[in-house]
Amino acid sequence: MTPLLEIKNLKTRFFTSEGVVKAVNNVSYSMESGEILGVVGESGCGKSVHALSIMQLVQDPPGKITNGEVWLDGKDLLTFSEKEMKKIRGSDVAMIFQDPMTSLNPVFTVGFQIVEALRLHNDMTKAEARERAGELLALVGIPGAEQRLDDYPHQFSGGMRQRAMIAMGLSCEPKLLIADEPTTALDVTIQAQIVDLVKKLQDDLGMAIMWITHDLGVIAEMADRINVMYAGAIIESGNVRNIYKKTRHPYTMGLLGSLPRLDEDPGAELLSVPGLPPDLLALPKGCAFAARCGYRTEKCLEEKPPLEEIDGREHAVACWHWEEIAGSK
Amino acid sequence: MAEITPEEITVTDFAVREHRSLWVDAWRRLISSNTARLGMFIVAFFLLSTTFAHFFWEYEPKKDLNYSLKLKPPTLIPNEEVPSVHPFGTDKLGRDIFRRVVHGGWNSLRVGIVAVSISLFFGGLTGLFTGFYENIDTTHIEKLFLFGLTGLVLGSLSAWIAAQPIQAIFFAILGVIAAYFKDFQKGKALRMVVFAIAGALIGAILGAFVSSAVALISLIWGAITGALLSRPLEGKFFSNVMMRLMDIILSFPGYLLAIAIVAFLGPGLEKGMIAIGVVGIPVYARLTRSAVLSVSQKEYILAAQSVGEGHGRIIFRHITPNILSPIIVQTTMGLAGAILSAAALGFLGLGAIPPEPEWGSMLGDSYRYLTSGAWWAVLFPGLAIMFSVLGFNLLGDGLRDALDPKLRT
Ligand SMILES: Nc1ncnc2c1ncn2[C@@H]1O[C@H](COP(=O)(O)OP(=O)(O)OP(=O)(O)O)[C@@H](O)[C@H]1O
Ligand SMILES: [Mg+2]
Repeated sequence: MTPLLEIKNLKTRFFTSEGVVKAVNNVSYSMESGEILGVVGESGCGKSVHALSIMQLVQDPPGKITNGEVWLDGKDLLTFSEKEMKKIRGSDVAMIFQDPMTSLNPVFTVGFQIVEALRLHNDMTKAEARERAGELLALVGIPGAEQRLDDYPHQFSGGMRQRAMIAMGLSCEPKLLIADEPTTALDVTIQAQIVDLVKKLQDDLGMAIMWITHDLGVIAEMADRINVMYAGAIIESGNVRNIYKKTRHPYTMGLLGSLPRLDEDPGAELLSVPGLPPDLLALPKGCAFAARCGYRTEKCLEEKPPLEEIDGREHAVACWHWEEIAGSK
Repeated sequence: MAEITPEEITVTDFAVREHRSLWVDAWRRLISSNTARLGMFIVAFFLLSTTFAHFFWEYEPKKDLNYSLKLKPPTLIPNEEVPSVHPFGTDKLGRDIFRRVVHGGWNSLRVGIVAVSISLFFGGLTGLFTGFYENIDTTHIEKLFLFGLTGLVLGSLSAWIAAQPIQAIFFAILGVIAAYFKDFQKGKALRMVVFAIAGALIGAILGAFVSSAVALISLIWGAITGALLSRPLEGKFFSNVMMRLMDIILSFPGYLLAIAIVAFLGPGLEKGMIAIGVVGIPVYARLTRSAVLSVSQKEYILAAQSVGEGHGRIIFRHITPNILSPIIVQTTMGLAGAILSAAALGFLGLGAIPPEPEWGSMLGDSYRYLTSGAWWAVLFPGLAIMFSVLGFNLLGDGLRDALDPKLRT
């Protein structure tokens, strides 16, 4: 069976006046239909840019996808024209964004925006689309959905707007929903509600979800698999068990260590990743993480470690010292 | 007291809510402000009175002449010396100033409105397209459009000098050809040479029909245009060409440029409209462009793209309504400015052709008689200018407060 999404050697660059920002570096992975993939990493490591590359919505100029292939459901997206991509966006793959406050157009009613998204890809009358929009709002748990269709975004709370965005994303029943930090701008209780909602929707509708976040805690609850990104590349990927229990990359260990855990001795020191991520304008020759890494050796500074499969698709890591780390644990 | 569950609160909350758009909110703020109401009243008063006068109160300026009533002060009760009513007095040709002020308003306001429409239309579209295409990958069709437009705009300069509109069309066609054969000799010097020669030929051959001097100028400009069009025209380049043109217009003092344009085109109301309109284009272009640049960065534009909406829809459906506020304010204020400019041109004798009434030219005709005590001949047209400008400015202020984005959540 071919995977739903397959990305091969994706490279995205921003050609700015200061130089070339290497935002996505040789990213390759695949996603099966119905799978929930978590993408984690520090701010600025290229999570959003890589997702936008899939949609071909990277700001161009200055951005360009310089290399790679993106296969979605057997279609080679990077060979598609803008016109063909327009049909794919929304219907095959949809995306919801970080800031619910600004991701709905303030001059149109929420209903209008969902109706518009619906009618873009489906042959529907206005009335049919409106009815469906009401159903969708109800589906994402907005009380009084019918009436709220005629509300303007500023009459919605942040959580409701994010729900409305999700409704819009789901409107054409995409096979893949990319959620780019959909809960970062929301407070904790609303975050939990949104996470539950997405889990429930995924159960009911069965689409694949790519959930981009900083928060390893959230991702552990819902994801099947996780990609850990660092400086535009995947440095560890695998199923949730392997990432959490058999962590092999020092960076992932640092990330996990910086999660406060209730079951731990409260006196225990919080591990975190010291230092700053490298400048994407001038990536080091060797491993991008070397400068911050406790396991660093000469080799790390000289040669870039490849993403090596430890356990087939279930676990891969890009570190010269993963065996050593495995042994030491 | 019964306990209230969170669900109940939200349900009632929804029930009492009305669906108010930002525009409705803005309207309410507008009509609740006294200055804005005053501005609206003045503007409506002028617009209605002059329009009614134009259609229902006949006036033939060419036949309006009565030396026996020359420079009579305001007269409300007919007497022996002045046998008819002249609430504002009469001017040096014995014409009723009240009548001329009312009818002059039709001309003055029309110049202002048409001039601002010209600025708004061309400036707004320039700003919309340059702002949007500045940071976006263009499709093939869009390239054809952008190249053609650049050719048209650049060509219209030499077409203007040569007074040969057809030149602009040829340059537009050259632009479309450059876009169609965009891969021809891509990035090579040959491409530039070919297009520069093509441009030079278009300029020279068409210019030769006028005179050899024009042919030479058109040749040089045509070569430059051709060379520019041979570049890979990305949105950024298009935007640069257009905005530098705007900068050129903006580098002239406004009135001076308007006077120069009228001097070039010849006097007359229509010429005045064009002159004032052209001078205003860069203002609207810059304003629109900066608004578009900031709105384009908003997540809802990306969200609209991510559900599969095309560039055209994004520009006109999603961006345009979101940049209207500053443009509405600027347009209202701009109307005040344009009325003043129209009056200035009229005062200098470059506006309406006499005996057409027009506020500025009425001032220009009569200020000489101030020394002989005929204050009424300048006071009333002057007041008309002042109040109409005041009205639009008050309304503009009110609109700015009502539409202030900072009040939006
Ligand atoms: N339009 C742009 N021009 C230049 N550089 C850009 C642009 N957009 C993104 N970048 C760069 O690409 C890199 C990756 O950015 P990206 O938005 O993907 O980070 P992220 O992982 O999503 O971070 P966050 O968690 O903060 O959202 C950053 O270093 C950023 O500076
Ligand atoms: Mg991001």
